[in-house]
Amino acid sequence: MTGATLAFVVVAAALVTASLGVVLTRNLFHAVLYLAGALVATAVVFLLLESPFLFAVQLLLYAGGVVTILVFAIMLTERLVGERITQTSRFLLNGAVVAAAVFVGLAGFIARARQPAPAVTPAEDQVAGLARALVGPFAASFELLAVLLVAALLGAIYLARTED
Amino acid sequence: MAIAAALLTLGLPFAAFLLLALVPRLRRSGPPAGWVSIGAIGAAFLVAAAAWLAEAGGAGVWGWIPGAGGPLVTVGVLLDDLSRAMVLLVTLVSLLVQVYSLAYLHDEPRPALGRYYAYHALFAFSMLGLVLAPTFVQMFIFWELVGLCSYLLIGFWYDRPSAAQAAVKAFWVTRLGDVGFIIGIVWLWAAAGTFEFTALFAEAAAGQIPAAGLALTMVLIYLGAVGKSAQFPLHVWLPDAMEGPTPVSALIHAATMVTAGVFMVTRTMPLFALVPDVLTLIAWVGALTALLAATMACVEGDIKRVLAYSTISQLGYMMAAAGAGAAAAGFFHLGTHGVFKALLFLGAGAVIHAAGTNDVFRMGGLFRAMPQTGIVFLIGTLALAGVWPLAGFFSKEAVLAGVLHGQLTGPFVLLALTAFLTAFYMFRVVFIAFFGRPHDPHAHLHDPPRLMAGPLWVLAGLTVGLGLWFTVQPPAGEHGPGWLAPLSLGLAAAGIVLAWATYQARVVSADLLATLLAPLDVAARRRYGLDALYALLYRGAMLGCSRVIGWLDRYVVDGVVNMASAWSLRAGDLLRRIQTGVPQDYVYGVAFGVLVLLVWAQWGSR
Amino acid sequence: MTGPGLQAYLILAALVFAIGLFGILTRRNAIGILLGIELMLNAVNINLVAFARFHADLAGLVFTLFTIAITVIEVGVGLAIVIAVFRVRKTVDADHLTLLRG
Repeated sequence: MTGATLAFVVVAAALVTASLGVVLTRNLFHAVLYLAGALVATAVVFLLLESPFLFAVQLLLYAGGVVTILVFAIMLTERLVGERITQTSRFLLNGAVVAAAVFVGLAGFIARARQPAPAVTPAEDQVAGLARALVGPFAASFELLAVLLVAALLGAIYLARTED
Repeated sequence: MAIAAALLTLGLPFAAFLLLALVPRLRRSGPPAGWVSIGAIGAAFLVAAAAWLAEAGGAGVWGWIPGAGGPLVTVGVLLDDLSRAMVLLVTLVSLLVQVYSLAYLHDEPRPALGRYYAYHALFAFSMLGLVLAPTFVQMFIFWELVGLCSYLLIGFWYDRPSAAQAAVKAFWVTRLGDVGFIIGIVWLWAAAGTFEFTALFAEAAAGQIPAAGLALTMVLIYLGAVGKSAQFPLHVWLPDAMEGPTPVSALIHAATMVTAGVFMVTRTMPLFALVPDVLTLIAWVGALTALLAATMACVEGDIKRVLAYSTISQLGYMMAAAGAGAAAAGFFHLGTHGVFKALLFLGAGAVIHAAGTNDVFRMGGLFRAMPQTGIVFLIGTLALAGVWPLAGFFSKEAVLAGVLHGQLTGPFVLLALTAFLTAFYMFRVVFIAFFGRPHDPHAHLHDPPRLMAGPLWVLAGLTVGLGLWFTVQPPAGEHGPGWLAPLSLGLAAAGIVLAWATYQARVVSADLLATLLAPLDVAARRRYGLDALYALLYRGAMLGCSRVIGWLDRYVVDGVVNMASAWSLRAGDLLRRIQTGVPQDYVYGVAFGVLVLLVWAQWGSR
Repeated sequence: MTGPGLQAYLILAALVFAIGLFGILTRRNAIGILLGIELMLNAVNINLVAFARFHADLAGLVFTLFTIAITVIEVGVGLAIVIAVFRVRKTVDADHLTLLRG
């Protein structure tokens, strides 16, 4: 077992554990913390995949931003409800069967798929390449994304604001 | 000159019709509209009379529907001896009837009166177009127009259900014959290659028309005449047509509509002459029609219906003469009959106008109350019975002589019997209505106003005048053996005497006669079951068909629709439950979809 | 280098995806459902990056960036909706939010 494989196994185990925590814990706040863990683990997976830039983005935006928003939301609703929100689940068996079936289907599909050629290390600097792509072929999408962000922000404010 | 006269005759009534149809203000004004129509038809009559006196003849033909090598269909006018006489009769009777109507329909609302005269002008135009037609196609077009006008006029009082029904009946029954007529025309065209009468007659004379199938073709053409001229078994519409105003009946019975069939057969006689068997058929049907209608007239109590049956009977005479090859005699009878039948109908109209009823048994003693009407009606009756020296005597004798000359003994016997019955039933009406005891002594009866009396006297004068003219100058044509005239007169006299003995002197009991001839009496009263038969056919075929279609519609078509809607509702109700509103359930759906896709991607498309 | 192949990453992503699906299917709380969605999107990101790495194609990375941005948007709007719904219905329990029931 090489070092890379060992690292992958450890990170994968952490990711799966954190994910299970997200869906199984009863405390909503804990679930969010588990999610933060899962996101960080994912960031490490990105690092393993030699994408340090995305590792950074994941940590900053996702693990930082999203989790912060979620925590805000939970605290807001808790304040409105006036008690701790405990997560309850139902139809556990149904969900487990369906989710397992989907996983088995996907895994089977992946296992049967043709093996790709071994990866070649990109010659170019990754960040420079990304930057060139974003202002080159993906410039229009990038700008549209910016518009979408603004619109979503405005929409979120409109939805969440109180009537007065 | 002749063509111009013919076109003028044709154009005047049409112009009047257009004027009345397109200027509502004029039409709704009533009597002025009537005067417009009367003026037009009067002028047409003068032109026709001038053409008659000048013996103008000729044909003007113009191409209408173009075809390879000359026009396929032509239109125009054909003025010869036949159409000249007919035009004169049509314009004369139309003129008198229109003048008479002005007084008869005095109480009608003004717009209705205008409508009435618009129809009348169109009717005159149609009949004149038919008479002057030089081709079968033009004749057929005007033939249908005549049918349409009679429909409109019979149903003039369209708010009466019986009148509306009678109009529809007249339209449909004649249409039955017209189907045969148009098929016959087309077949004849297929065989001979032309619609024009003169060309057809030339081909017939030269023997160029193929004989194969010609008999059937001519029978089909004759079928048109059967419908229009009310021959057995399509005569049933004519008695019902009495629902129209009485002057309309006079017009239809004397000069237009019913004479169209006889005129057509006379016109195309050279073609019928090619197929003697068809002619024999025509003669037999005509004679049978004459006799059957006469027996039905004997048991009828409605004065107009008696006259209607007598018209059918006389049309049978004309057709029998045509079938016997004596078309001239038949046409002669058509002319004289037109005059005195118009007289009788207008007289009956005057009686109905005064008495307010059609039922002869509710009249009686009218001769004293309205002597003028009585005299003219009597003249018409004598003419119809064939009494010398009135017009009817000569034409009826000519018909009988023609039939006898055609070696048709059977039809001759039938017609002779009819002559006896004609005298009987006409004088039955006269004795009951005019000479019997007054039904209601206090009724205020009076002779008709001058506008109605005028036409009556003109027609009566014509009936007598024509008779006297023929006495002085016997008509050319067929003359029977010496015993024919005494026989004819004797039969008429016997009929009159029997009617007198039964209904005036009451020596013979009418009930006794009815009992003696019970089967005949019952059959005639039931109109030989023909109306019932048609009603049965109508009910059986039409209603049966309708019932089947109705069932199909109700249970199959509606059933499919109802089932579709019920199933849609049911399916919707079932599918509705899928939409639980719980978000996770939708995710389940997506997950199952993904699973199906995965399964399909791995095992499905191999 | 020698390390886990593409399939290992894909299997890992599939597992996280299935866990996220399970979370969506079983959670009552709307925020819990949102968390499940986050997990699933994360799994997709892993896929994209893995494909980009093993095919040496930057497009996968660009898509990942976009996905992350859109996820942020989704969370923002989603939470705003949750708060709005909560304000009206006094609950964020998905079992009670059944206005769409046919």
